[in-house]
Amino acid sequence: MMPRLVSWLDERLDLTGLTRVALAKTVPSHVHKGWYYLGGVTLFLLFVQLATGILLLLYYRPSAAEAFESVQFILTQVEFGWLIRNVHAWSANLLIAAAFAHLFSVWLLKAYRKPRELTWVSGALLLFLMLAFGFSGYLLPWNTLALFATRVGTGMAGSVPLVGDFLMRFLRGGDEVTGATLSRFYALHVAILPAMTTLLLVVHLFFVQRQGMSVPFDVEQSLPPGGRVPQTPFFPNYVLRDLMAWYVAMALLAALAAFFPWELGLKADPLAPVPAGIRPEWYFVAVFHTLKLLPGRVLGLEGETLGVLPLARRHCSCRSSTARRQRDGLVGCSQCSDSGRWGISYRSR
Amino acid sequence: MSVDSMIRVVVPAILTLALLASPSVVSAGNARQGQPELVNGCVACHAVLEDRLAAPVGLLGDDVHAERGFSCVTCHGGDDSADVESRAKDPTFGYEGAPVGAGMVETCSRCHSDAELMRRFAPAQRVDQATEYAVSEHGRGLAEGDTNVATCVSCHGAHGVRRVSDARSPVFPLNVADTCAACHADPALMAGYQAPGGTPPPITQRADYQRSVHHAALTRGNDLSAPTCNDCHGNHGAAPPGVGDVANVCGTCHTSFAERFNDSTHGFLFDRGCTECHGSHAVQLGTDEMLGDAAPAYCVSCHETGDAGLVAAARMRSSIESLKRSFDEAQALVERLTVAGMEMGDQELELALARNQLTLARTEVHAFDADRVDPIIDAGLGILAGVDAAGVEALAELRFRRRGLALSLVLILLFVVALGFKVRQLDRMSHGGG
Repeated sequence: MMPRLVSWLDERLDLTGLTRVALAKTVPSHVHKGWYYLGGVTLFLLFVQLATGILLLLYYRPSAAEAFESVQFILTQVEFGWLIRNVHAWSANLLIAAAFAHLFSVWLLKAYRKPRELTWVSGALLLFLMLAFGFSGYLLPWNTLALFATRVGTGMAGSVPLVGDFLMRFLRGGDEVTGATLSRFYALHVAILPAMTTLLLVVHLFFVQRQGMSVPFDVEQSLPPGGRVPQTPFFPNYVLRDLMAWYVAMALLAALAAFFPWELGLKADPLAPVPAGIRPEWYFVAVFHTLKLLPGRVLGLEGETLGVLPLARRHCSCRSSTARRQRDGLVGCSQCSDSGRWGISYRSR
Repeated sequence: MSVDSMIRVVVPAILTLALLASPSVVSAGNARQGQPELVNGCVACHAVLEDRLAAPVGLLGDDVHAERGFSCVTCHGGDDSADVESRAKDPTFGYEGAPVGAGMVETCSRCHSDAELMRRFAPAQRVDQATEYAVSEHGRGLAEGDTNVATCVSCHGAHGVRRVSDARSPVFPLNVADTCAACHADPALMAGYQAPGGTPPPITQRADYQRSVHHAALTRGNDLSAPTCNDCHGNHGAAPPGVGDVANVCGTCHTSFAERFNDSTHGFLFDRGCTECHGSHAVQLGTDEMLGDAAPAYCVSCHETGDAGLVAAARMRSSIESLKRSFDEAQALVERLTVAGMEMGDQELELALARNQLTLARTEVHAFDADRVDPIIDAGLGILAGVDAAGVEALAELRFRRRGLALSLVLILLFVVALGFKVRQLDRMSHGGG
């Protein structure tokens, strides 16, 4: 039955041609090849988000009156609802962590150099989209922490020069974070961002497939003249290794969801005082504290604008020397460790 | 009204109005700060006199009356536009010097008992202070010729009078105890007086109060509505609550307790009402240990072993303890499950309801009738039984989740290991072939 079906499809879709391409594809095999799997893990976690997100949509109600109760219902009444919600929440964090790790591995191995600039840019944009997913999804359970975190987050958007006020009102759907904000964030989270992500992801994966994996500088330089980096077949060797990484990520997700369930907290009350210990999610902590260190205005410029300028410069420097690359790497790593350090100290307060 | 008193009222009033209308009353400098500055003859002279006489000038900057435009002559009479003492203190302009004793009360009440005048400046303020004062221990003493008793300025100050809501005012809730204690904790001053029973008056009220739950609520709990001296004794009508009135005084805030107590046997028997068990100035937080048939329960100080009162006390205490025990167990279970990630929001709500039942039972104890306490305890225990049942169900669900996870992890691990072997095999084949 199966061979006949394959043969029927092959006749119409030229599957043999596709298989030939897949079997011919190879991946460089060297000492740094482990970093290649981060992209695959990120992709896997994105699929997990997609699947669990769709399941949550079956019960979630995006209104200020019902959002919290519907999440509570998912957690207590829906069969395996607790698992789906906890996996969704944990996977969101792991996804951003994996995306950051992927970004830093590409950065430190200088994989963004010519001809892969567009792959780098599309990947960076995807990371921003993941952060936007995290920010918009954080509000959806409509609990107290989410309300105040969103108030702070959208307030920060208000300090963008010229368009800040418009941007803040646009995000909030008014002057304050209300049910209107929830509706907007919901639309952003389940329609606009997924559409943009799908488009960019297709572009990103197309670039990766078209250009192949980058070989790190030091590996390239250690080759004899005219030499070629040893290659591993993409299918099935690399794919099976990728699959192993995916399973490890799945095991980690399951353990986190079962042993460290994501707290729902209390329903959002706009009239309640700001809760003690309020903090941004860990992936915004570094930005949050950096901005806190800057004065409100410096030489007529908004402190926040000034704060992001050096980052913009660093992201644009594609032709850096090895020394600069190392320095940039250190800065990047220190930002990451700052994020972790602040995250831990903030949580412990 | 006599001619003298007409002069005393009308002349200062006319002068005050003239002063208010005069541009010289308010200097440009102070208008900027929103506070008028008195630049009149009184101020000009007193500012350069010796300390005692110059002190009032320095206090006028914070004075609520000066802020509202009242001048020295409003209280002292005289002519503040004069630049010579003889004219400024001319009795024909109503000059009466510094009022003391009954004159002080009369001076203040001239405005503060005038509803029409007060409506213009502080419409929400009462105008019966003088009437209340007249029936207070202070007022009665003054009427009998005692010049040591407190008058208006003893508590509010003379110059530099601040609003009650001003934290620097001597009658701001946090300062009242110190203000009263300035006299009532002074052994020399209190030596000449007697308590209602003919005993020497106590002078430890402030120290006792500072150990009380009321003081803790006021100072550490930042609750300005927590009682201080005047909340129980009255302020302008200050007097110790009479025997039999105590429950009414406490009941002003503790309504539910007072209702039950007043209908109870103890309500008729206790001479000192609530204070029999709770004390007065040093009142402590009520505890369950106060109830029961063995020390330290207060019941044993009057009741004898085996009498009906002690039996009822033991029964009520036992019921309360059983509800507390069940509550603690249920709460521990809910906390444990919440930490483990189970959603226990409904059960936390039920716990709050059970805690309410405990509070209601403790309130009902003040009726001293065990039959009224038991139904409340039973309702609480019923709620907690529901919480326990839900907790047991959640524990089973938690075990199921953990086992499911363990199984999944084992399966995943096996699959990863299998994949590892397959990958190694493929790598060997690739290298062998190539």
